[in-house]
Amino acid sequence: MTNLEKYINAFAESLEVAPEAVPALKYGESEQWDSVGHMTLIAALEDAFDIMVDMDDIIDLSSFEKGKEILRKYDVEI
Amino acid sequence: MLLKGKNALITGAARGIGAAMVEVFAHEGANVWAFARKPDEAFEVRCAQTAEKYGVWVKPVYCELSDTAAIKDAFKQVMADKQPLHVLVNNAGIMGEDRMFQMTSEQDMRTIFDVNFFAMIEVSRLATRLMARNKQGAVVNIASIAGIDGDSRLDYSASKAAVIAATKKMARELISVGIRVNALAPGFTDTDLVKDLSEKVVAEQTEKILMKRKGRPEEIANVAAFLASDMASYVTGQTWRADGGIL
Repeated sequence: MTNLEKYINAFAESLEVAPEAVPALKYGESEQWDSVGHMTLIAALEDAFDIMVDMDDIIDLSSFEKGKEILRKYDVEI
Repeated sequence: MLLKGKNALITGAARGIGAAMVEVFAHEGANVWAFARKPDEAFEVRCAQTAEKYGVWVKPVYCELSDTAAIKDAFKQVMADKQPLHVLVNNAGIMGEDRMFQMTSEQDMRTIFDVNFFAMIEVSRLATRLMARNKQGAVVNIASIAGIDGDSRLDYSASKAAVIAATKKMARELISVGIRVNALAPGFTDTDLVKDLSEKVVAEQTEKILMKRKGRPEEIANVAAFLASDMASYVTGQTWRADGGIL
């Protein structure tokens, strides 16, 4: 599985949305991506890429694209 | 066994109530990550003996809880074990000195809050993210009756009141991912924290208790084990007193 597939799966499984809907998701705007969804998403990303996300990055991770940028800080290229 | 097959993380596990929790949780079938402040050979021997006695694993993890980076490093050790986390007991705490309100400095307050509150929040954030992966878990925050009734130490009692308030917030938010969160408020318990009290103070304190004695650490640990177990499956957001009866 590629990193992009793992990344999309983390969103799809933790937020319970179809994979094709993932790129348009935005924190607070998408019904599924509320504060609890955010926590499960972070947990899924940490699990998928074996990383521990810092608090500032948890707060900043507000969209599919922003998440890619943040993961680069943890040496994860999507 | 109340906790058979569960993996529990207990902070402040080297002494007092925390040490009793390691013993009780292991007795009840739980594997334990035993967080302690600094490396200690006697503690490691005790962990190994407890593990062997009850047929579980008990892993010492060292972590200065007032240091956020150290907490993260400790969690990396936990994550490296690739085992699910089912139970967190936020037990580590410090008490501080008995001072007048006017004599309690901001620094005194910050020192107590760093361990009793902010570290508890940081540990909980990391632990509940691990629990959320499996959509289940139980958190037991060790508060104090001082956080409910107040006592002569502004910094300590305020920090424990904050723990109780945080428990309710966490319970509301985390139940949607299957995590129960409760606080346990011990009363006058026979630990190092009270060992230097004068006989007069001990007599005054025990007089207020229906049972007329201090609690034993294992009696507090037993309540924590219950709250951590599936036997408490309908309990969340609560603060349970274990105080020998102070009415």
